[in-house]
Amino acid sequence: MKPFATVLEVGTSLNNHTGSWRTERPSYAHRLPPCNNACPAGENIQEWLSLAEQEKYEEAWREIVKNNPFPAIMGRVCYHPCENACNRVTIESPVGINSVERFLGDKAIRDKWAFDRPAAKSGKKVLVIGAGPAGLSAAYHLARLGHKVTVKESLKKAGGMLRYGIPQYRLPRKILDAEIKRIVDYGVELEVNKKVTNLAEVVESKAFDAVFLSVGAHIAKLTEFPTSPRSRVLDAVAVLRDMENREKPKLGKRVVVYGGGNTAMDVARTAKRLGAKEVTIVYRRTREKMPAHSFEIDEALQEGIKIKFLVTIKKYQNKKLTLGKMALDAKGYPQPTGKNETMETDCIVLALGQDSDLALLEKFPGLEIADGALKVDSRMMTSHAGVFAGGDMIPFERTATTGVGHGKKAARSIDAWLRKVEQPATEKHPLATAERLNKWYYAEVSENKRKLIDIAHRTKTFDEVQLGLSEAEALNESRRCLSCGNCFECDNCYGVCPDNAIRKLGAGKGFKIDYDYCKGCGLCAAECPCGCIEMTPEDI
Amino acid sequence: MLKQVEGSHAVAEAVALCRPEVICAYPITPQTHIVEGLGELVKAGHIKDCKYINVESEFAALSVAIGSSAAGARSYTATSSQGLLFMAEAVYNASGLGLPIVMTLGNRAIGAPLNIWNDHSDAMSLRDAGWIQLFAENNQEAIDLHIQAFRIAEDISCPVMVCVDGFILTHAVEQVDVPDQKQVDAYLPAFVPAVVLDPKAPASVGALVGPEAFTEVRYLDHKKQLRAFDAIDRASTAFKSVFGREAGGFIRSYHTKDAETVIVAMGSVIGTLKDMIDEKRKQGHKIGLVSICTFRPFPTAEVGAALKDAKHVIVLEKSLASGQGGVLAAHVRAGLHEAIPLTTLIAGLGGRPIPKNALSEFVEKIGIPSSDELHFLDLKQDIVDGELKKTEEERNARLRNGAARGR
Repeated sequence: MKPFATVLEVGTSLNNHTGSWRTERPSYAHRLPPCNNACPAGENIQEWLSLAEQEKYEEAWREIVKNNPFPAIMGRVCYHPCENACNRVTIESPVGINSVERFLGDKAIRDKWAFDRPAAKSGKKVLVIGAGPAGLSAAYHLARLGHKVTVKESLKKAGGMLRYGIPQYRLPRKILDAEIKRIVDYGVELEVNKKVTNLAEVVESKAFDAVFLSVGAHIAKLTEFPTSPRSRVLDAVAVLRDMENREKPKLGKRVVVYGGGNTAMDVARTAKRLGAKEVTIVYRRTREKMPAHSFEIDEALQEGIKIKFLVTIKKYQNKKLTLGKMALDAKGYPQPTGKNETMETDCIVLALGQDSDLALLEKFPGLEIADGALKVDSRMMTSHAGVFAGGDMIPFERTATTGVGHGKKAARSIDAWLRKVEQPATEKHPLATAERLNKWYYAEVSENKRKLIDIAHRTKTFDEVQLGLSEAEALNESRRCLSCGNCFECDNCYGVCPDNAIRKLGAGKGFKIDYDYCKGCGLCAAECPCGCIEMTPEDI
Repeated sequence: MLKQVEGSHAVAEAVALCRPEVICAYPITPQTHIVEGLGELVKAGHIKDCKYINVESEFAALSVAIGSSAAGARSYTATSSQGLLFMAEAVYNASGLGLPIVMTLGNRAIGAPLNIWNDHSDAMSLRDAGWIQLFAENNQEAIDLHIQAFRIAEDISCPVMVCVDGFILTHAVEQVDVPDQKQVDAYLPAFVPAVVLDPKAPASVGALVGPEAFTEVRYLDHKKQLRAFDAIDRASTAFKSVFGREAGGFIRSYHTKDAETVIVAMGSVIGTLKDMIDEKRKQGHKIGLVSICTFRPFPTAEVGAALKDAKHVIVLEKSLASGQGGVLAAHVRAGLHEAIPLTTLIAGLGGRPIPKNALSEFVEKIGIPSSDELHFLDLKQDIVDGELKKTEEERNARLRNGAARGR
């Protein structure tokens, strides 16, 4: 017989619903991770890192390709704004998201993973003009949504600037080819050497239900300075494009590159690999103002490329180059000093930016064009219904990843437009900021960095400079993700709840709060490592 | 077997003979040697099937004992002084849940000021916590009471605290008769718990109970304490038949038959008192002694009966209820005829010696007063008078200064 009152039936302590004492209510929030927020392609980075850290690599890859069909390419050429936004920097250094993406992309190629089956055929036909990152991304997403897609490309091969702008040592062509082939295998019709010269004709032909324009920006911006007939002045776009020909451009032993962007770095490093002994980048401002990414400048310097800051080209006669020295004024702008210096060079390569070739739009009235770029609305549609545009030809940041994002967004808009449905407004969750993290719970773990091949090798060949991570490294790297603002089932709340009011719903399903017993003490919220629990006042 | 051993080690050996299954304790002077001794015995394999659990505090020590006892293991712990206060909440829990834990209390004063020596303040502070409290007169009784304690505790499902004067007993090397295992096994049956936490028959222990049941729970606790008299009686009677010597029980009387003055006391001071009484008796004084072995439940009726013919009762006690007087004295008063004057003699606080001569002089001096009085043995009157005077002067000065500032 059980003693009176001191020994009771099981569960009798649950008779007292302490939840009635609550003045604040905890709940699991889903905050927008800063990496996701920063990704121009709109990848759900936190989600695929989470899958990767569970060694579910194929699922992780499938999560990436929901938004970006080029994990292996972007895992090399993306400037990873995600990493710049990563909250882990407040602990030691950002998660090497780009490295993990590349690992997954390479594994997908090696293991021959194919895209998910597309949606049921819509019967609609879409033309994509230009097979760069934006065009191919749009084509892929449209195909995924069930549409018949034709891509017309003016050049010999698809890829756009990925092929004709980014050197092989940054993006091996077999990787590029493999990821393009996967899109072609997906049912996208690719027509190369098919330059569309007149959009009006295409639209009037009614052969397509919608058009996506993504012709890129392949015309080099030029500048004028006195030259003599024997002075060789080239442009970076042409040099890099010609690198895809069997016969490589001949630049000479001494090369000067004019400009300070990533293209300047690419062409300078290419010149070095082509055998130039002296490669000098000439830039009118300081290193801090250089638009090129810092790591690209570093890699160029490592390879023996010299950079002259605060100089402009005055004249280039025969092989003699005269540079005008600049000085920063009080506001930090470069101003001519009137002083000159000279140097000898076999050629100058101009890397001053690019313009779009919009000739195909000339006979197509009513499109809004400003500063050489085509204007689109928030759906990526031009002022002509059914004609959409994206990538480098619209006024936006010109990166491959941005192009991929444009392609995806345009594809979804085209899909909604074709199906005559409103695109559902996507809810944007509040940002998972670093202040919300409980950093005490995270140990310092240094980044698994990708190794670079040795300098001697780099300057003589076009072999890929950056090596990939091993599986173990990629796994460790993905495990550095803090899961900012979203529950990763660490069980902390479950452990600290003094009322045992947290219910486990099983692996991957998170937790539920039993409000019959939750007193609203807030311990779970205070002790959540990733800041995903929010307290809101009860209506009392 | 007769041995010359330290009191703490004698207690450790006695506990070991009782085949405890879980021992958990946190060291505190003067109890430390007991649990060290047990630790050595467990480590050396002298106690079979026993787990010695290191804990981080006294609160944990008794909490672990509560858990192990509720799971059906014979459980033991020991503490002293502040250690007992630190585990106070668990002390109530153990009795409230009816868990037959045995705990040695190596009696020691409670600070502040910090003091590590003997008095009974610790035991008295938790006298109402629902535990049976037994006081040992000497190391032999300390051994014998521990063996009885397990039997009493398990008989009625109530924890038992065996109070052993710190240093005076715990650190004294004396000759003791340590029983052999066969005797103890014959005396102490295997533990059959009344409550067992068992995953196969789940139950809630110590869950929330509302006003509708709490009075009844407390009433039953009181009844259990009253039933403990029978259990204590059974235990001491059986003890005599198995071991051939007397130990435990409620009270013991010494030359009370014709005594006009009867001293009441408990613990190790009994020995001194007996010597003093022997001397006084030789001088023709009619003086006797009642020693209290069981303080909880308090044997009011037995004490009253033992003192009914006295003309004056002196309660010598090693604790003080500030603002009231003597704790034991108040208990004795409850059983005493109102016409008999009772003198409370506070002695031995914080380890102050209680010399025979001082006791003798006190008894001589007080004679037979007409009403109840409170005295402190060997109080340094000049010090307290000076301090009281100084305090009063300082207070007046403060008030004057305050008044001046106010203006």
